Amino acid sequence: MPFNSYYFIFIFLPITLCGYYVLNYKNRVVLAKTWMVGASLYFYSFYNINNLPLLLFSILFNFGLTSHFHSPKKIISKSLLLKIGLVFNLGLLGFFKYGDFAIWNFNWLFHQKVEPLAMVLPLGISFFTLQQIAFLIDSYEGLNERKSFLDYSFFVTFFPQLISGPIVQYSYLMPQLENLENKKVNLDNITLGIFLFCIGLIKKVLLSDTFGVWAKPGFDELVSLDLLAAWKTSLSYTFQLYFDFSGYSDMAIGAAYLFNLKLPQNFNSPLRSKSLIEFWSRWHITLSQFITTYVFTPIVRSMPKINFQTTMVATVLAMFISGIWHGAGWTFIVYGVLHGLGLVVNHVWKKRRKKLPGILAWFITFNFINVTMVFFRAKDLEHALKVLKGMLGFDGVVIPKMGIKSVGFLKDYGVKIGTYLYPSDYFMILFLILSFYLIHQGKNSMLLEKEIKLNEKIGIFCGIAFVFCIFGMNKITEFIYFNF
Amino acid sequence: MTNKEILESVSNIIREVLELPNLTVTDQTSAKDVDEWDSMTHIQLISAIEGKYKVRFALGELQALKNVGDMVLLIQKKITK
Repeated sequence: MPFNSYYFIFIFLPITLCGYYVLNYKNRVVLAKTWMVGASLYFYSFYNINNLPLLLFSILFNFGLTSHFHSPKKIISKSLLLKIGLVFNLGLLGFFKYGDFAIWNFNWLFHQKVEPLAMVLPLGISFFTLQQIAFLIDSYEGLNERKSFLDYSFFVTFFPQLISGPIVQYSYLMPQLENLENKKVNLDNITLGIFLFCIGLIKKVLLSDTFGVWAKPGFDELVSLDLLAAWKTSLSYTFQLYFDFSGYSDMAIGAAYLFNLKLPQNFNSPLRSKSLIEFWSRWHITLSQFITTYVFTPIVRSMPKINFQTTMVATVLAMFISGIWHGAGWTFIVYGVLHGLGLVVNHVWKKRRKKLPGILAWFITFNFINVTMVFFRAKDLEHALKVLKGMLGFDGVVIPKMGIKSVGFLKDYGVKIGTYLYPSDYFMILFLILSFYLIHQGKNSMLLEKEIKLNEKIGIFCGIAFVFCIFGMNKITEFIYFNF
Repeated sequence: MTNKEILESVSNIIREVLELPNLTVTDQTSAKDVDEWDSMTHIQLISAIEGKYKVRFALGELQALKNVGDMVLLIQKKITK
């Protein structure tokens, strides 16, 4: 069930929370963990119960395999176990996520007509697979001791982070759960949790969903876009995605705080970055860390020599993998490779130690992100090129009618004068200005979490925002990252 | 080898890899404090440290490092094993 649904907020969350603390209060620690695993599996099944066996199978297989690392009588070697584990996890992901993409490319390349599998992507598979791959590698390298099945299941299924992260290491999450102090109700954490949840809800319901309405027609419905319409479309999607995923992450972190568990931060004002290197240290932080640790580092280590050139090759490869991890499609491959090449350019420039003025550095970075987001969003390359052509003015320039005669000369240059602006256009301009202000000046939830003093004012703010969002939630929209 | 000695030697490697001869390095120094310290220089740093102490860091250990102090403790743990 989505975080932004009445059922989650008013029924599932309060019942799960009460059950967890009552069981812990009665010293039924094992039962409290079991309760949480049960609640998380229910939460997962709520979307589509047909996916539950796959999740359970993945947990059972990975647990069985990693437990064997600690077995005194090893039937198979550790390195073979690791290989089996990697093949299993990547195979599962590959089959469900890339099966049809592979068939489509095969048909296109060899003029065949193989029937697609028409697989529905099991929810959260990309995330729970990565988390388990990290656990598998850590276990292979001797960082994890033997775990109980219950603890392992809790680690994988903990509902705030099950579907879309933040991706968390076992050694980060589980010691918090074992801390006896964390089994008692902590009002500070509950207030902070509600506060962060409200921030996320505002981002999702008020900002992301609104931008989503403006982004959709340009990408999915219109045949061509004039200059302003194309920029409206691309900027709307960049803000939609940012507020959607950072809002989701805030809600996940907030929900986890209610159980006295701190999840790692996922966003740190990425859209104010002044370089692409900086952007990737601020955007989807836990995925960047996973890619750096478990993809980029092994690629570099496998190279005969570690120098600037080889690390750059590894960077492009890692970003290609990061791109395709998001989805099976050429648009994601282009997105990943463009970011890989962008990082190479950034590193080469950085080596020269010449700094651009801050505003120019931000402008270039933001526009690179905004342009590459077109590939991230578009259905296929054709739709992406349509939006990009529009952004470059190839499909005409139409400016709104303003009643100013002096702009009439623009017609001589092929500029068309359209209709007067509608109230919704003013609304959109206001939202864009507000968003640019927020990404630059607004305190992000990472800072708010550290600095905020929870008092009556914050309580009133949360109350008003919460009521506002609840009324705005009449139409539940899915989080974008549920599709990845 | 004491932690202080390791810190001194690690600091020299950091200055060399980042090409910042005057950089002040303490236990608290982290990648966030130094612009030149990014994923690319980090892996070169790790490789140089592994070469110097003849140790191999596990991937998960690298992710858990928060600052130079953590790195010093990890090296100490590895070389006294």
